[in-house]
Amino acid sequence: MAEPQSYESALDAIPGSHPYPRSSRYHDAEIGVHTQPDGTPVRYVKRRLLPPISADPEDTATHTVSSGERPDHLGQRYFGDPAAWWRIADANPVLDPRELTAEPGEEIAIPGGFPGGGGGRHGR
Amino acid sequence: MADEPVGQGPIHLELRMGPQLTRPVPAEVTEALLSAQITTTAGERSGFQMAFDLTKKGAIVDRLLPEGFFDPRTRVIVTAVVKGTPIVLLDGLIVRHEVGASNQPGQTTLTVTGEDLTLLMDLEERTDRYPNLSPWQRVSRILAKYTDYGIEADVVKEKILQPPNAQRRVDYQTGTDLQYVTDLAQANGYVFYLIPGPVPGVSTAYWGPEKRIGTPQHALTVNMDVNSTVDQLTFAYDGTAREEPQARVQDPATRTATLLAQPDISPLRPPLGKRATPALKRKTLSGTAKKDRAQAEAEALARAATSADAISGSGSLDVSRHGYLLQPRQLVGVRGTGVTYDGEYFVKSVTHNLRPGSFQQNFTLTREGLIARSNVVRP
Repeated sequence: MAEPQSYESALDAIPGSHPYPRSSRYHDAEIGVHTQPDGTPVRYVKRRLLPPISADPEDTATHTVSSGERPDHLGQRYFGDPAAWWRIADANPVLDPRELTAEPGEEIAIPGGFPGGGGGRHGR
Repeated sequence: MADEPVGQGPIHLELRMGPQLTRPVPAEVTEALLSAQITTTAGERSGFQMAFDLTKKGAIVDRLLPEGFFDPRTRVIVTAVVKGTPIVLLDGLIVRHEVGASNQPGQTTLTVTGEDLTLLMDLEERTDRYPNLSPWQRVSRILAKYTDYGIEADVVKEKILQPPNAQRRVDYQTGTDLQYVTDLAQANGYVFYLIPGPVPGVSTAYWGPEKRIGTPQHALTVNMDVNSTVDQLTFAYDGTAREEPQARVQDPATRTATLLAQPDISPLRPPLGKRATPALKRKTLSGTAKKDRAQAEAEALARAATSADAISGSGSLDVSRHGYLLQPRQLVGVRGTGVTYDGEYFVKSVTHNLRPGSFQQNFTLTREGLIARSNVVRP
């Protein structure tokens, strides 16, 4: 159970005070505080670890890359938001997102759009 | 975007049901869903109503309904995904269902009504005593009993600390846990509500002040032709809403009753408007002489703060046009209504209306004064 907060510090943890919006991959990243030698606290986002890749084939759909496609095209196509391409990059561990669509004909995994799966199945 | 049915467009809906641990519902149930309405309010219990098409010889009427799939106390979790971002809208329990059989084909429906998980706290009346526990300690002790359903407590210590003294007074609970926790919240100008999420099956019970600061949500825009995101928006200014509470405390030694000074409500209600509403009414609080000074102060503060919201707005928006889900209990900017009513508001309640192909939200906004504080809002 979480510790009760004092009234003064309760309003620090306000909704929306997270520097990243809900759609960002850094939204769930932990915020750390670094104290500089002169005592000034500096907030920073801790390292984000990639979520484990699902071994269940039900959770992911496959997409065959065609020429001229970019990660943001896939984000728009499968999630309705071009900025959501990072979900696809997370499911296919690649260092550079451009590697995802570099080879036409390659098959890449599209993660389910929501917990429980199903979101990625509706390609048009 | 708006023409695409839910499940294929950028907005998806996931329904999970089960006795205590939930599973995604069978495809027949998802297909039969006609509409869902979910209401979330700051400081009140959330509710939901869902209507299903009851096809003759369908899976629901033949198998699921007799098996008890829609029985009361079945847990329901609704998750909406907007542009790939999942947001849990509801974590609740079914309270009742109605079957309306009709001669007209397609008009036979099953309507399921329920409330959020705080219903669990409202089922059993108990009497309990809490010697030497201040209000926030009592609340955390009560909330610790409900961790089975994934409810995590988020308790904020009260603004005016009320150190307990078992020699002079022991606080008793009569009634249900929910009533007691809500009463304690009201006595301190706080709110108690359940925040579902961030993942299905987990929720946070929040007992603390309304969070009226922070980054506001994406602004609601009206009266701006194609840029408008809100269909209609009405504002009301109620001059008699704000009260000036009069509280007296008695010193037990000298028996003199002193009038408490008017509390400063800005810690509980950070001003959102430039011109605060004057208090027209003067209200005498009864029973404060019997209480400790800190308790009486807290009650006067709570009364002054909760009555301060004289301006309320209501309206509706289309999520696919707005592009974002409006979340209750947070700030939001309003633009396009003129300098008097523009600016930031606290979203008091949101009703989600979901049907295949449409996602509408009705909302109410409040704040305590007129005139926008700044000439920009977050777009």
